Amino acid sequence: MKNDLPAMFAILIFPGGLSLLLGGLMFEWIDRKFVARLQNRKGPKWYQPLADVIKSFSKEEIVPAGVNAGLFIGLPIVGVTTALVTGLYVPLFGFAPSHSFAGDLIVVLYFLSVLTLTLGVAGANTMDHFSLIGATRTLTQLFSYEAPFMLALLGPAIVAQSWQINEINVYAQNHTWFLFSQPIGFIIALIGLMGKLELPPFDAPEAETEIVSGALTEYSGRGLGLFHLGQDVEFIIGITLITTFYLGGLANPLEFILKSLGLLLVLTALQTLAARLRIDQTVGLWWRIGALLALIQLIISIAIRKLI
Amino acid sequence: MPETLGTMLSDILNSLVHKPVTTNYPAECCDEPIRTRGKVVYNAETCTGCRLCVRDCPANAIDIIILDRKEKRFVMHYHVDRCIFCGQCVESCRFDCITLTDTQWELASTSKNPFDLYYGNDEDVKKVLDKHTEIFDVGT
Amino acid sequence: MATVVSASDQSRFIVPIGPQHPALKEPGHFEFTVDGEIITGASARLGYVHRGIEKGAESMNWTQCLYLLERICGICSHIHSIAYCQGLEKLADIEISPKARAMRTLVAELERIHSHMLWWGVAAHEGGFDTLFMYTWRDREIVMDLLETISGNRVNYSVNVIGGVRLDLSPEQVTKIVSGMKKLEERTKHYLEIVTNDSSFLARTRGIGVMTREEAQRLGAVGPTARASNVCRDVRVDAPYAGYHEYPVKIVTDTAGDLKARFVVRIKELFESYRIITNVAQNMPEGELKARRVPRKIPAGNVISRVEAPRGELFYYIESGGGEGPERIKVRTPTLPNWGSVLTMAAGLRLADVPMLLVGIDPCFSCNDRLIRLNPDGKQQTLTWQQLRDRGIEYYR
Ligand code: SF4
Ligand code: SF4
Repeated sequence: MKNDLPAMFAILIFPGGLSLLLGGLMFEWIDRKFVARLQNRKGPKWYQPLADVIKSFSKEEIVPAGVNAGLFIGLPIVGVTTALVTGLYVPLFGFAPSHSFAGDLIVVLYFLSVLTLTLGVAGANTMDHFSLIGATRTLTQLFSYEAPFMLALLGPAIVAQSWQINEINVYAQNHTWFLFSQPIGFIIALIGLMGKLELPPFDAPEAETEIVSGALTEYSGRGLGLFHLGQDVEFIIGITLITTFYLGGLANPLEFILKSLGLLLVLTALQTLAARLRIDQTVGLWWRIGALLALIQLIISIAIRKLI
Repeated sequence: MPETLGTMLSDILNSLVHKPVTTNYPAECCDEPIRTRGKVVYNAETCTGCRLCVRDCPANAIDIIILDRKEKRFVMHYHVDRCIFCGQCVESCRFDCITLTDTQWELASTSKNPFDLYYGNDEDVKKVLDKHTEIFDVGT
Repeated sequence: MATVVSASDQSRFIVPIGPQHPALKEPGHFEFTVDGEIITGASARLGYVHRGIEKGAESMNWTQCLYLLERICGICSHIHSIAYCQGLEKLADIEISPKARAMRTLVAELERIHSHMLWWGVAAHEGGFDTLFMYTWRDREIVMDLLETISGNRVNYSVNVIGGVRLDLSPEQVTKIVSGMKKLEERTKHYLEIVTNDSSFLARTRGIGVMTREEAQRLGAVGPTARASNVCRDVRVDAPYAGYHEYPVKIVTDTAGDLKARFVVRIKELFESYRIITNVAQNMPEGELKARRVPRKIPAGNVISRVEAPRGELFYYIESGGGEGPERIKVRTPTLPNWGSVLTMAAGLRLADVPMLLVGIDPCFSCNDRLIRLNPDGKQQTLTWQQLRDRGIEYYR
């Protein structure tokens, strides 16, 4: 569907900005609710994530001793902004991206990593030992899943012969789903997304029973709320991206709802099935298996393309 | 069974078709078990004033005030907030004057008043209360 | 991985766990020296929840003490009261009826079930396996409900009195217990399958925190922690009390000595408990519930009473001066002897293993916090309240 709204509106209200934030909160709620149902619990009410954020914002923000205050306050803003910017380039809610240029895939992938990066830097900025370990783990995890995740998204891009998300979207709509033609890539992208979002079992960077809250241990009030929002935005964008690439593209809002919800439920179910991996196990898994498989998938797609 | 991933798959699939087991307490409440140990209830009529219950209460939660042993005029001063609902008073009393209710167990309150209970006939209780005020007045 | 070095201390990076920490549900303080993720040293500081129960007991009478001691531990309250009652009955030479003994055994085993299920739920949560945690606790409600119907309370059952028990089983309760045990047995089989077969869980438990048999004996480990290292030690078998003569248990041991073995031992112990409970409930002996005459004054003397709590051997020393209350009561809960094993095993592990390792012994902090003061020179010392207060203020400054 074409989106003819003025640029400012697109950035601030729809489909980016406000609606992106609300969409992220909605996705978080579905995730939490469904996890609860899978664990035979009732789960939270629909407004719980929003209430959490409002609560965070209304609380005092404590800047701990020994940190660079500018960084401490600035990092969450940078994180959330970059996450929001990515919303301009992906077909959110089934509408064509409001901005698009050749090579925006790379930019989006980069921006998605920036949030994780800010998390890591935020953790390293404080003196707290839990934060430091959390930051180390966050960055370690970033370096381990990033390569396979990128390779997994490159597969469809190479077949579609474009680095532009919008074009890949159009290509995917008119061909067999990449889920079927590149199954390995799909699995890696899905699990890579779980790593990116620090969902269980890849939640070692914020493992509460070990390091309290990881890099965010010292954060409170607005900073915490912003990071929280940023992660929600990353959540919805990551899912949109994978749906666009692997589940036959997003032509209209209805498709978005069906496909992304389907993917979300799968993602949620996967979270409940395993114990948390130690950070060394995560790294081992990604480099030993993930990267290898992604490479194989890539080589196969290139080879097939050459043959045809 | 060999080592696998996702051994809990059967459980989560099961939960999809079953209602959650958690409840919205206090909006909805379950039945209390038959032997629930709730608030202490005292019957002055059969009491002999032996004060065994007072001596054995581990939390000093009860006191029996003897107004007139012959006339069987006793008042029990019961501190609900101190009681640990152990049931020893019921056990100690040989005349079955004390029971623990099985319905009154949600005893939380925002004020202190419901935690200070007097059992006995109205007249006696009034007398005891008046006496307390008297002592209090003298004290101040 | 890179080594993290804090600015203030260039040589050692210490990760403090507790007294307030999400991994610990009770306060205790542990300091782990880490090199990156690898632990190089560990130390513990206990005593945050010292409640002065032993001292408090000295100012109460024998009956009141029962309820105070029952509240040493919320999870294994019944076993504390068994240990205490048993000791007193020995001192006062009271014979308790077979029925009372059976009843005590029944509730003790029900309590073991709820304690073990609680534990492995928590341990799964520490390992980030929340689904297992939720399901175990869901099924634990079965046994909680049984305890509730029997005693009226979910914890602190007040089943024991000095000289016997207070409560009897009705026929409906027997049916309920038997069917509950069947259901639990089925579920427990499933859980045993999970902890022995789930590869993600095994990755976190197998070969972690291995304690050899020799080490376990040297460190004085007790209970399931010791049995997981193949130490054949269980008070229920070595010195049967309550109804364990009539309803003997088989010791469950494992040779591996790692975290997985601790799971397996506890889960397999439950099958024994199910068997005993069904047996006791169906063959409850007839007889009096409690002894006719229980003296208010217990003859002077002292006694040692040992029982097998869910976490291991529980030890009571009771001294009577012939009065209405105790002269001295000393309690040693099973968590205390197990701490040594945790601190020794920690070195060389990864930080991520620490929560599971700590929880692996099923610690109960407030139970084990007591105060012992040894004066090596034998001199006595009396402190006034004011001195104690000043010391406290000075200490926590
Ligand atoms: S033990 Fe019974 S009879 Fe004796 S004072 Fe208490 S209530 Fe009255
Ligand atoms: S139930 Fe226990 S604590 Fe409460 S009044 Fe009776 S003896 Fe005292």
